[in-house]
Amino acid sequence: MLRFVVAALVSACIATAGLADSLDDVRKRGELVWGGDKEGGGPYIFPDPQNPERVIGFEIDVMSAVCERLGVRSRFEQQNWTQLPDHLRAGRADAIVNGFELTKPKLRDFHATLPYYIYELQLIGRSDDATTSSWDDLRKPGSKKKIGVLGGSAAEDYSKSELGDNAEIVSYDSTTQALEDVVNGKLSATVTDTPAAAFYLPRYAKLHAVGPGVGRGYYSILLRGGSEHSRLRNAINDALLDMIRTGALRDIYRKHGIWNRTQLVFAVKEPGDASTFALYLLREQQEPTQLEGDAKNEESDATAKEEPRGWRAVWLSAPVLLKAAGRTVILSLLSMPLAMLFGLLVALGRLYGHFIIKRVLTLYVEVVRGTPLLLQLFVIFFILPAVGIKFDAGTAAVIGLAINYSAYEAEIYRAGLLAVPIGQMEAALALGMTRRQALWRVVVPQAVRLVMPPVTNDFIALFKDTAVCSAITVVELTKQYNISANSSGAYLQMALVTGLLYLVMSYPLAVLTKRLERNVPHVHV
Amino acid sequence: MITINNLEKRHGSLSVLNGVSLTVKQGDVAALIGPSGGGKSTLLRCINGLESFHAGEIVVDGIHLSSKPDGEALRQLRQRVGMVFQQFHLFPHMSALENVMAGPLIVLNWPREKAEPAALQLLDRVGLKDKRDIRPDKLSGGQQQRVAIARALAVQPQAVLFDEPTSALDPRMANEVLAVISDLARQKLTMIVVTHAMGFARQVASAVYVMAEGRVAESGPPQQIFETPKLEVTRRFLLQASAT
Repeated sequence: MLRFVVAALVSACIATAGLADSLDDVRKRGELVWGGDKEGGGPYIFPDPQNPERVIGFEIDVMSAVCERLGVRSRFEQQNWTQLPDHLRAGRADAIVNGFELTKPKLRDFHATLPYYIYELQLIGRSDDATTSSWDDLRKPGSKKKIGVLGGSAAEDYSKSELGDNAEIVSYDSTTQALEDVVNGKLSATVTDTPAAAFYLPRYAKLHAVGPGVGRGYYSILLRGGSEHSRLRNAINDALLDMIRTGALRDIYRKHGIWNRTQLVFAVKEPGDASTFALYLLREQQEPTQLEGDAKNEESDATAKEEPRGWRAVWLSAPVLLKAAGRTVILSLLSMPLAMLFGLLVALGRLYGHFIIKRVLTLYVEVVRGTPLLLQLFVIFFILPAVGIKFDAGTAAVIGLAINYSAYEAEIYRAGLLAVPIGQMEAALALGMTRRQALWRVVVPQAVRLVMPPVTNDFIALFKDTAVCSAITVVELTKQYNISANSSGAYLQMALVTGLLYLVMSYPLAVLTKRLERNVPHVHV
Repeated sequence: MITINNLEKRHGSLSVLNGVSLTVKQGDVAALIGPSGGGKSTLLRCINGLESFHAGEIVVDGIHLSSKPDGEALRQLRQRVGMVFQQFHLFPHMSALENVMAGPLIVLNWPREKAEPAALQLLDRVGLKDKRDIRPDKLSGGQQQRVAIARALAVQPQAVLFDEPTSALDPRMANEVLAVISDLARQKLTMIVVTHAMGFARQVASAVYVMAEGRVAESGPPQQIFETPKLEVTRRFLLQASAT
């Protein structure tokens, strides 16, 4: 893959600066926004176990050092790993940095900087399992061992092409879950990138590295494609080269315990300019003798202080969990009243509007009900910015939830309005009310009371559906549970506390709606 | 006050009103009687625009209602002509007082300080002042209908239409309601009453119209209709009515 970087670099040197140059933009804002995922992200990006409100990791340090050299602040933004490329494409971040290996498809869409780390894939098995002591053991025909890998990762591609039908490759969402399953015997082995192996192996006494690292690849910072972003890419490359020259990059990796012989290419005193260094990397890749051998990590500077586990981890995570719970409540309380209002208007339009309005609203209801909330959120968050409509994540989440639920509420209200006897409308008209007055003062108040029970039901459903909003970077309670549980390993305790939080929150909502239900009939004329 | 000329209405091929004409003068009480399906209720509902008609004309207090009325004419008309329904149709989410105030507050835009005493006076007139804060579902049928009458009177109509006001009530409650209507007749309120209560019609009406098959079969002062009916249809109907 390095070949493509070199090609891209050479062409970029010729390319002139574009129109709205993103380097100028970043400098003007005084900060570089970059996306990553802290869920199960050790040692890359993860919550500090001692203080879960802080985010740490070697990529945080690399980006701080890069931004320091650009003269701007570094701002990390949380986003689900699989959505990070969409996030970048929609212009919601200047860069994404989270163990993205250089691949040909990525280079077609994005600018990639020089590699900032060289990873290999590490096979990890149980120390007491003699039947899994090398890749060859897995290749044996008919052995059919189960191997867990991170879905969509280089480890998955490599394992599939190396082992083919001889092993069963199981896709996981998080490294730690795969490791847990090796410990408890559900898996024979897992394959992770070397930084993750270096980070997690000391935490699992029963596991060990099986054989040397394989399938070398390069982590690179990704930026949007296009000539207007090439100056930013060049500036980041210069910053990285400076970090190589001064040894700052090595210091970061030593601090995190991931400096090893493979990284020795970053130890050169005179890396030259970007293309010189890229050509040098390419040469090293083609003549790897110098770097061959066991890629053992050096002893980490920050060797394991005792990490909080179990209930202590839950206690330390309490502030972030509570904050996320608050976000869940705010999302529900903002979006449900909007959904109820939209829904009522749509129902009134469908029942009493002009026939064109009826058609349009029927289409609206069918489209909104017939497509998933997740897709609607993606459209609002990632697609609308392309036509110049840009909301922040919280606003997009509220709008998405309100629109999605408005379709369901509209159907409920429609049934409610139809259930009000026709005589009510006639009695109101007979008094001399206009149709509009009759609807709003007589029919709607009765319909609202009729539909309270199903609407309450939907309120609680929406409350739980807020979890989907994590896909557009809103860290609500479920997402925070995933982050906290994966980084601490205290799955059971975190799940209990999270479940309890949901209950504690939904119960008052239920009581509140019940009270509303009683109060609705007291409509004063 | 109310003039109806040659009113025609069809449901598909079925003729519901077949050239109805009648005139009700200021202070008169017209009773519409006759067999079910004769078009009495339909005629009443046409008069305040709850149903449309195909041909003919309705004139109420100088307002012409054509077969294609505009919304404003309808509203003008409905403010002049109140309506009381067989099934009361009180607004269930409002108290008795709020039901009576609904018209003045919403339609006439009266301030509350004016609407409330007026509404209380009307509740008093129908004998239900003490029920002011009670919801309709806690009132008896007779009480509900009396509130409905007060509600219709609250917008100060020139005339009130009654669509079988006592048919959903047992005899004791029916009498409460008929007493209120008789009282209104004594005060010279113009009314058209569709009713099956023959004794009431005879006692209160200034004119009785017998409707059958979509037209006025026979009309005249109550004495004439009840004592010397001309037509066979009237005789048969009166015989059946007295038998039940």
